[in-house]
Amino acid sequence: MSEDSSVAPSPEETILAVEDLEKHFGGIVALDGVDLSVGSGITGLIGPNGAGKTTFFNCLTGFYTPEVGSITFQGADITGSRPAAVAKSGMVRTFQIPRELSEMTVLENLLLAPPDQSGERLSGAWLRGDAFVDDELSVRERALEMAEFFELDHLLDEPAGNLSGGQRKLLELARALLTDPEMVLLDEPLAGVNPTLEEKILDRIHDLEAQGYSFLFVEHDIEMIMNHCDRVIVLHRGEVLTTGTPEEVQTDDRVIEAYLGEVDV
Amino acid sequence: MVDAGLLDAIVQGLITGSIIAGGALGLSLIYNIAEVPNFAHGDMITIGAYLALVFNNPAEIPFLPAFGSAPLPAAAIVGVVLAGALGAAYELTIFRKFRQKDADIITMVIVSLGLALVLRNVVLFLVGSKNIRYESASVSNTNFDFLVTGAGMTVRTTQRQAGDVVTTGLWGYPWWLLAGGLILATAVGYGVFRAYRREEGFDTVYLVPPKILGTAVAIATAIVLGALIQLAPQGTDPIVATRIGLSIKHLTIVGVVLAAMFALNVALKTTKFGRAMRATADNMDLAEVRGVDADRVQLLVWVIASMLAALAGVLTGWFATNLTPNMGFTLLLPIFAAVILGGISSPYGAVAGAMIIGVSMDVSVYLLPSHFATYRIAVAFLILIGVLMIKPEGLWGDV
Amino acid sequence: MAVADFLITLVTFIAIYSLFGIGLNLKFGFTGLIDFGHVAYFMVGAYVTVVLTLPADAATYGGIGGFDLPGLFAALGPLGSLFGWVLGVVGGMVAAALVSLAVGVPTLRLREDYLAITALGIATILNTVVKDEDWLFNGPYGISGIHKPLVDVFPLSLGSFTVNMAVFGLLSVAVFAYVAYWLVNRFREAGRTGRIAMAVSVGLVSLWYFVMPAIDGGTVELTKNVLWLFDPTAGPNGGLDYDRFVLILAVGFLAGGYHWVERTINSPYGRVLRAIREDEDVPQALGKETFQYKMQGLMFGSALAGAAGALWAVNIGFVSPDQFASTITFFAFTAVIIGGTANNKGVILGTTVFWAIRNGTRFIDVPSQYSIQLAAARLILIGAILIVILYYRPQGLLGEQDYDIDLPGSATGGSDDV
Repeated sequence: MSEDSSVAPSPEETILAVEDLEKHFGGIVALDGVDLSVGSGITGLIGPNGAGKTTFFNCLTGFYTPEVGSITFQGADITGSRPAAVAKSGMVRTFQIPRELSEMTVLENLLLAPPDQSGERLSGAWLRGDAFVDDELSVRERALEMAEFFELDHLLDEPAGNLSGGQRKLLELARALLTDPEMVLLDEPLAGVNPTLEEKILDRIHDLEAQGYSFLFVEHDIEMIMNHCDRVIVLHRGEVLTTGTPEEVQTDDRVIEAYLGEVDV
Repeated sequence: MVDAGLLDAIVQGLITGSIIAGGALGLSLIYNIAEVPNFAHGDMITIGAYLALVFNNPAEIPFLPAFGSAPLPAAAIVGVVLAGALGAAYELTIFRKFRQKDADIITMVIVSLGLALVLRNVVLFLVGSKNIRYESASVSNTNFDFLVTGAGMTVRTTQRQAGDVVTTGLWGYPWWLLAGGLILATAVGYGVFRAYRREEGFDTVYLVPPKILGTAVAIATAIVLGALIQLAPQGTDPIVATRIGLSIKHLTIVGVVLAAMFALNVALKTTKFGRAMRATADNMDLAEVRGVDADRVQLLVWVIASMLAALAGVLTGWFATNLTPNMGFTLLLPIFAAVILGGISSPYGAVAGAMIIGVSMDVSVYLLPSHFATYRIAVAFLILIGVLMIKPEGLWGDV
Repeated sequence: MAVADFLITLVTFIAIYSLFGIGLNLKFGFTGLIDFGHVAYFMVGAYVTVVLTLPADAATYGGIGGFDLPGLFAALGPLGSLFGWVLGVVGGMVAAALVSLAVGVPTLRLREDYLAITALGIATILNTVVKDEDWLFNGPYGISGIHKPLVDVFPLSLGSFTVNMAVFGLLSVAVFAYVAYWLVNRFREAGRTGRIAMAVSVGLVSLWYFVMPAIDGGTVELTKNVLWLFDPTAGPNGGLDYDRFVLILAVGFLAGGYHWVERTINSPYGRVLRAIREDEDVPQALGKETFQYKMQGLMFGSALAGAAGALWAVNIGFVSPDQFASTITFFAFTAVIIGGTANNKGVILGTTVFWAIRNGTRFIDVPSQYSIQLAAARLILIGAILIVILYYRPQGLLGEQDYDIDLPGSATGGSDDV
């Protein structure tokens, strides 16, 4: 599945470029000059605990503002943009611990996601013109399709709080996809998921890759990263240790020392 | 005749700050450890003030027989102890139950609001809304006039006795003594700071942070020197003169609050329970895993905080010379402002926040036209909002 | 005073405070904003409406204005000056929304507990400003001589005594019939506890309203209560008096506000608001500008509070800063929580329960020197009810409402069409 074996993506296929990103918390340096570029396909982001992966995600998606550095997504500078603006520009994230809106139904969770709904504006909700109805109907149709794709369609009227852990992961992913993203950032989408569901999620991700979506995902399971990613970025102590194809990374001494050495592969 | 100036406003502000600090110490405990933004705190202050009134001046309470009057300090101690028992009751009958249900912070806010409504109206129900005073000896103000002259500084103290202004003291400090005294005080303070400071490390816990100790020692040295060495007046024809009005009452209030702060700090840092409380503040679940009995810690928090609130109530009632059912609630906003400003996790922070609020309230009243005097509390608030806009997590964050 | 008159006063109060509560519910129930300064917008709405409609040469008034909007349109007859008053109300609502915009910019980004405290503080400051700045709205003296819309038209008489009695009497009975119809429907839907509660409360109220007066005062009292819209003492031929008109006006405003909020909530817009209430990060991560939504929710809720303030001024006929203490906000929170947070019907129910306790106890006979005690006892009871409800039934009497987006194109609409 990984035909792309070049070490760095050529400029035209770079979707996300990060330069010299720094983030501190008090005296602690979480990101210490991260430089990387991400192309299309599935890119894995690995690193030992405390390497700064989640901080990096939070900086990318506008939840944190980096002190130094720049983030360019599809040619546009999104450094310091608000989370909503980042999402609108086509880069959407999931959360490490699924954050379903537990008092709303599964359907409502899904309906929330699609962008630019006429009824989402106060004027639209008050006036209820044709666009209101058309948008809501088409949004519902898309939500139903997405629910079917993730086999959540029998749960649409359940409050999302009643879902199992795995179903929450699926809902989170489905919700992210409904925002029409170019790139989806997945924060440990497989953590705490049983093997059957893991297989299902991975199948879906590959299906979606074939449809043109790109993924950047953080994962602990090395085997998973090696088997399913086109390219791998290794983060260590707030810096990029190396990037490359799974094979290259797997044989990199520094990586083995920093990370793989600690784990039984 | 010398006018009160900026210096007097600052001193008054420190006294106002002490009153606020009395409430802020207790609120910061509840806010930080029990995780309740306690809107009933103002009314807990009121309750404390009235509990002391029961023993100090029972004749003022309609349904009580006039069984005599205990001196205010004794009545205050009994009132504070009783308030502690009430604090236990709040925790056991209300807040523990909500904690066991994992109530979120919004629910806790509204529960405390309900308690506030109950407490305030219990006072109203039992005592009514009239203004009541404590039975206590009247204290007269002493005015300290500081006259800066060519030769140094002259201090003159005056008091109003039987309607007449009487000069009770006149002395001075030549320039060399002023300079020498200041240098000596600074040196002593810095010496203490250096001697006390240890290697910085993650586990360094000071009973009193060296900077605070050093500053306190320097100020104390200056005051002691000034009180001991009183030389002849340096002339009474001032270049600059300012007046500070003070009384034993004011000094007592500041002293009691500082003592309460210090005692609370010692208790938090040296006793087993104090450490358990601080662990609970950091992370309630983790503390429980490590064997801290959270229920006992929370009970203690409510007891201590209620006692501190009661202490603040007595001081407020004594300072303002009257008690009303609304006295605590009007203090609630400055107290919250102080606690948020000071960072909600340390006694020093709470007191420092309270002093900033108190001083800015009184200094702004002094600086602004007299018409703006009613905006004292508004000033406290504008400062808080200004700080929150720049640092949404409070001035010192969670130190 | 006939029971009907007392009830008219009480229901007018309830309608006004329900509108106030619905504004709060939009902020607190649906969007999750703890606005402890809600009363400030009630005050702004009341004052701005009053000043916009006050005659320019009002005696004993030294503040800015009045602008006499009803006078501008007086040439068009009573409806013209009514239009002027409505413009004044719109002005009051806009002013309330704009003040909340100014308050929201610094405070809406804060943690929820800090928002609660700063909102309370700002409301207190605004109240101090109105109280201390005589040049603004006459300071502590308040404003009297408030414009009352259509007051010259009332008492409304349609002809002879008999005609009035027949028309207004029939309307009164029609209202009872509608209420009965509505109650029967609710009774059918209710569960066992609900049915018992309804039977007991409806039984008691009818006993008090219909049976007791008949025993006490004979048929005159009973007639007054049954034909409640008709006041035989108003004018030469009897008719509809102004208090009853204010009641109708307040209920009309409440109905309007209720449907307006329902329309807002039952929409994709409302979905975003509820998402913000549950976890603001999620809608943000999905590309919703949550700050804008929170701001709009705050402004809309404040505008409704402003409208309630305008009605309050008409109902009382006098405004002063003391009427707008923070306790009013806390009462509204209590009412919303009793009835059911995030449930607009619950707000009306909760407000009814609250004011029935607060004002209904006036029938308890206590010597006047104990009136403070009685007032305090009511508030103790209300505080205790608040805590007990939060513990045993945190969702309130009715619980969160259901949501349904009405779509003409779809078969059933709503979330149960799958």
